Amino acid sequence: MRVLPRIRDRWLLKRIPPGPSVRLNQRRIFIMPTAVGMSFLVALLLMLLAAINYENSLAYALTFLLGSVFVVAILHTWRNLAGLELQAGGAKAVFLGEQACLRVRLESRGRLYQAVSVGWPKSGLQLVDVPAAGTCELQLSLPTERRGWLRPGRLRVESRFPLGILVAWSWVDLQLAALVYPRPLAGDLPQAVGLDEENGEGSRALGGGIDDYQGLRPWQPGDSKKRLNWKAYSRGQGLLVKDFTALSGEDPLLDFDELAGDIESRLSLLCHWVVELSSRQQPFALRIAETTIEAAVGVEHRNRCLRALALFGQQSAAPQ
Amino acid sequence: MSSLQPIPRNGLVWLLVAQVLVILPHLAHLPLWIIGLWLGCAIWRVQIFRMRAPYPRSWVKALMMLGAAFGVYFSRGGLIGLDAGVVLLIAAFILKLVEMRSRRDALVLVFLGFFAVVTSYLFNDGLLAGIYSLAPIIALLAAMIGLQQSPAGTHPWPTLRLAGSLLLQAIPLMLVLFVLFPRLGPLWSLPQPKDRGVTGLADSMAPGDMAELSRSSALAFRASFEGPIPDRDQLYWRAVTFERFDGRRWSQSFKSQLPQTPEWSPRGAPVAYSIVMQPSGRPWLYGLDVAQVDAGDVRLMSDFHLARPRPVDKPLLYQATSWPEALREPNAGPAVLGRALELPSTGNLRSRAWAAELRRAHQTPKATVQALLSHFNQQPYSYTLRPSPVGEDIVDGFLFDTLNGFCIHYAGAMTFVLRAAGIPARVVAGYQGGEVNPSGNYLSVRQLDAHAWVEYWEAGSGWVSVDPTFQVAPERIERGLEEALDAEQDLIEGAIMDLRRYRDIGWLNDLRFGWDSLNYGWQRWVLNYQGERQLEVLQGLFGKVDSRKLGLLMVATGALLVVLLALLLLKPWRREQDAQLRQFQGFEQLLARHGVARHAGEGARDFAQRAAARLPDAAPQIQAFAGLYEQARYAGQPTDLAEMKTALRSLRRQLPWRARVSKPRGGIDGDNL
Repeated sequence: MRVLPRIRDRWLLKRIPPGPSVRLNQRRIFIMPTAVGMSFLVALLLMLLAAINYENSLAYALTFLLGSVFVVAILHTWRNLAGLELQAGGAKAVFLGEQACLRVRLESRGRLYQAVSVGWPKSGLQLVDVPAAGTCELQLSLPTERRGWLRPGRLRVESRFPLGILVAWSWVDLQLAALVYPRPLAGDLPQAVGLDEENGEGSRALGGGIDDYQGLRPWQPGDSKKRLNWKAYSRGQGLLVKDFTALSGEDPLLDFDELAGDIESRLSLLCHWVVELSSRQQPFALRIAETTIEAAVGVEHRNRCLRALALFGQQSAAPQ
Repeated sequence: MSSLQPIPRNGLVWLLVAQVLVILPHLAHLPLWIIGLWLGCAIWRVQIFRMRAPYPRSWVKALMMLGAAFGVYFSRGGLIGLDAGVVLLIAAFILKLVEMRSRRDALVLVFLGFFAVVTSYLFNDGLLAGIYSLAPIIALLAAMIGLQQSPAGTHPWPTLRLAGSLLLQAIPLMLVLFVLFPRLGPLWSLPQPKDRGVTGLADSMAPGDMAELSRSSALAFRASFEGPIPDRDQLYWRAVTFERFDGRRWSQSFKSQLPQTPEWSPRGAPVAYSIVMQPSGRPWLYGLDVAQVDAGDVRLMSDFHLARPRPVDKPLLYQATSWPEALREPNAGPAVLGRALELPSTGNLRSRAWAAELRRAHQTPKATVQALLSHFNQQPYSYTLRPSPVGEDIVDGFLFDTLNGFCIHYAGAMTFVLRAAGIPARVVAGYQGGEVNPSGNYLSVRQLDAHAWVEYWEAGSGWVSVDPTFQVAPERIERGLEEALDAEQDLIEGAIMDLRRYRDIGWLNDLRFGWDSLNYGWQRWVLNYQGERQLEVLQGLFGKVDSRKLGLLMVATGALLVVLLALLLLKPWRREQDAQLRQFQGFEQLLARHGVARHAGEGARDFAQRAAARLPDAAPQIQAFAGLYEQARYAGQPTDLAEMKTALRSLRRQLPWRARVSKPRGGIDGDNL
């Protein structure tokens, strides 16, 4: 049944090979009259009939003029995509249920490109103008339906400018991808190692006696403001944080196998706790199937854990 | 989803402008309430756009449609016919403005606008109207473009400029299509614009009608001669003959309207000419005696006038050949002669008595005619457009009491007397003379050149034309009506705008001739570029043509033009359009000359660092340029090309001129940037 789309995909793959940056050239732009264009032609036909029946030279002239405008519009519509370059921008990882945001950059190498639509047909196209010899950044949002890598596939670029009677389009594969983390779901962990849900951010769960003061280290994103060494900052030594080393045995271990329920709800629960513990600056370890992530703290650790959760059970590799 | 897109401001602005421009030329034949309707709808539309007013509900829409239909019905007396149809079209065009919500509705409006422009051509296809119509067309195209533009407040002028350039680029192709597209005859008949009060000769005329006509400077036709233009007194353009007289009016006989070619034989030298006649609403064509026309359905009628089955309701071009010295019906049958002898049974007794007297005094019809002409010449007859009133017997009153009148009086009276004297005669109505346009070498004949003269029949010589007016006012024939009526200067009454009034002002007169000549060319080359005329022109250009050859030629020329335009628009020779990249290539080549070639796949920053290490003297400049390039290229910052150029220039200045340290080979590779 789905032979036709597959043939089309294979043909497109050869014609417009995927890549992080694609320039639209004549092999990559297709052009067809739109429904409006067809009705324009029907209107021209009616005008031609009027011209013939009234033997009116000016009516002939107008019909031919508009017919010629149609032909000229083919060139103009085509030109409104030709030479446009599309580049993949990054995409922030999102939690399942949020809108994934994929960035695409359009770059003009000379001309102004007006009214170019970019997007995926099922989620709607976005209309932008690309300034002459300039760039234009677009954020395309997509609904997320499952965790893991979201690969929306070929992106449609189209333009009906200037007259709307023709549409020039292309399908480009910028290898766009966004990572979708599981949906965080609040709940209790079976062995609450000093963790309970009521403990808000300002709580004392950090436990003064548990961690040992190690010294100062440079601040990095994700560190709590409470641990900033303001004295050092006032002395002009930059942002430093007081570093504590948790005793490893005491750090909570988020263990997939310890949880009950189906895979997705377990991942959701773990996801919640990764987010929660990270926001509390509390070191934790994560064990999920064979993978164990040693206890640590900070954004990088958080993202590593979330990524492991997102990709659990999916053999697909990360995009390059 | 694309059909429900809202209408951008730019599109709406141009749509409103286009609507005014489209409706303007229609105002001449539209009822006045249309203007009110348009104003109301335009204001409503703008208020909708400003969110001050709602869209009309469906019952309001229905009511407005119904109201418009009623309005058309009452002001045009029906909903059928071209005039009513056009009013309906314009009303729909206006009402759609309020109703449109989406881009698709707006496009319907644009298409309606194009149709309205086409219908305006049916009412007026003059040169000015044709040029003017470019304005609504450009505005409609601008509206189409505006509808596609992104809603971010774009300025209306670039839209207009783009519409104009689209139109200009389309013109060469349009000309090719116009010249080569085969013209067909009408496929079926359509309602024509109603008689627009055309002034001109009628099929029956009382003296007063002719005087009315003499006040109109409207064009009747233009004629171009293949040879030199004959003298004025040879230019008697026959339109119709009047054979019936009821005591007051002369009118066309039913019999003379039969397409029954009379007997005639060409003699002497023929005169060839072409005529573009204005719509007259009458079936007859104009020609010098005896004319032959090759156009399909034009026939020479039994009284030597040219006619075709349909009335002439748009400008008509035809080629004619005339034999002025032809012998016409030397052996006319009794039916024809009988018609030319008919008189009312009573009235005009004095004239009848005088006719009998003339008949007794002269042997031949020729001598009688001569006697009559010299009577007009020697007696104190005068030529005026304001004849004194006469009583019941108009011929008697004119001949014996008032002794003044104009052509139809003289021709009518002479015919009456000839018939009473037993000589077959009839009144010929048409035009006499015309104004020679020196800038185009052709003749313009106006309604005020309308004239009536006499032809009588004599055995052996057939029909002979004589002009009694010439005996009274020879200057009327030799120089024209205006010269003949110097005293009656207010001839073209109220026509202050009529340029003919100012014919004494040299440059203005030249201007008038030039403009007239331009219009004539427009009629000959554009409006009448139909059927046979097209074939004639194409055969003149390309020799023998058939439809296959024509089609091939059209496709080939069209394709050639499109290719040329594509080259012009897309400029494929400008392969690398990226200015930044060009600058970087310059940078790369410069450094390569100094021995630092970029490796394949080496990034701009690495390359710059390597180059800076190799050329420490120029390190700051190298780093500066590379920094700018990176910023422009990868940080998405607004690019300042001038800055990059200056940076490259200062680097070039920093590096020594002849420092070819080593020959770089194959290192310049811009592919992997």
